[in-house]
Amino acid sequence: MNELLNHPAVQGGVAPFVAALIVALVLGRAKLGGLAVIAAFCTAVYLISGFSFTPLTATRKIVLLALAAPVIGILADFAFKPTRLGTAILALAAGAATLWVFWPVLQQKDLKIAALLGGGAAVCVAWLVGFSLAALGAHPVRAGAAGLGIGIGVGVSAVLGASALYGQYGISLGAAAGAFLLPQMLGGKKYEAGATFMLPLALTGGLLAAATLILAQLPWYSLLALAFIPLAARLPAPEKSPLWIQAVAVSACTLAVAAVAIALTWQAAGGQSG
Amino acid sequence: MYRLTVALLAVALPLSAVAAPENYTIDPFHSYPNFEVSHLGMSNMRGQFTKTTGKFSIDRAAKTGTLEITVQTASITTGDGDKAGRPRSRDEHLRSPDFFNVAEFPTMTYKTTSVKFNGDNPGTIEGNLTLLGATKPLTLHVENWKCGPNPASKKEMCGGNAGGSFKRSDFGMKYGVPNVGDEIKLWIEIEGYKD
Repeated sequence: MNELLNHPAVQGGVAPFVAALIVALVLGRAKLGGLAVIAAFCTAVYLISGFSFTPLTATRKIVLLALAAPVIGILADFAFKPTRLGTAILALAAGAATLWVFWPVLQQKDLKIAALLGGGAAVCVAWLVGFSLAALGAHPVRAGAAGLGIGIGVGVSAVLGASALYGQYGISLGAAAGAFLLPQMLGGKKYEAGATFMLPLALTGGLLAAATLILAQLPWYSLLALAFIPLAARLPAPEKSPLWIQAVAVSACTLAVAAVAIALTWQAAGGQSG
Repeated sequence: MYRLTVALLAVALPLSAVAAPENYTIDPFHSYPNFEVSHLGMSNMRGQFTKTTGKFSIDRAAKTGTLEITVQTASITTGDGDKAGRPRSRDEHLRSPDFFNVAEFPTMTYKTTSVKFNGDNPGTIEGNLTLLGATKPLTLHVENWKCGPNPASKKEMCGGNAGGSFKRSDFGMKYGVPNVGDEIKLWIEIEGYKD
């Protein structure tokens, strides 16, 4: 059993998918199916590195924010009506959180590089959170497809960008999105996504991508490509078709953008095909 | 008066010479931390850090000493620095947040808390290793300690090998355990010139 749980594919993919699927099935009808994201991510963290917060490194700050995000998401969904102002505040908070995560690293760098890296990462995470909440939160299939693209895109790019740890964490987000989509596709009924699903996914995915940029070797233009994934989830889809066709169509769009980001990272890493 | 002065000097000079701790600066070209870690439980992979600075002192009369070493973690090498068609080399992976996280923690340090002598030479060094922002005790056992003039430059120097082991997971470096072993065997070859 231990051997199985030590396998990277189980730690980052299979186990998080199973955990997310259980949560989506059990809590989906209670409008809390979005908690599948945090279930998957926590499973991955538990199996890969465990929960430890001292010293508070950048990676541990990301885990901490990922744990806080669904709480804020539930509050945003159930205690407040979604407004543009609320979404803007959450996006700005996500940008500020990005700077908090990477501040000790940025302080060690030249001011110009620190401003470019920190500013770029903060804008990217703020964009991912803001746009995802505003444009995808009310559309569970599009939200799930965006999550699939972000998770797979960030995960595989991170593996190529020299961090298998961030790769597994990213892929666990993709597994969560897949587990969130699957019951909808098979059952033909939509779950609620909202901020409960979208905030942890966009924030954690964005922070992992930023971490791979700042702490590993993700090229900046791959981060830029990853930021287009939520936009791809807004492309026209066959709205009157069965849910599974909609999910496949939108996921194909988000995964295509993710594939561009992965290809750019592969090229920057000097990878050779064949 | 002359006899008294000579007598006082005869007593005081050797005492002061013996009692004073001797300070040494580490020679970065002959001081390398080396490590060994199990890979998949099959082979033991070895590597080293090529950029090390620091200082040490020895007080032979008091049988005490100090050692401070700072290692640039980005200088890690395991002999696999070439991507060779892969997206990353093993050394690049070791520099990533999965292992040494060199962008966030560019240095690791070792500082003594006490030195126990074995005869006239340092035998056991108790100290703290700071790695990935975590500080934990680490004991090093000294072998082959020798002091004397450098045969070429005639500068006074000391050198030896110190070794110990620790669990990397104690410092939060948990990625890949147990496939990449948890226990790290560490050896530091140290040479330093008298200040």
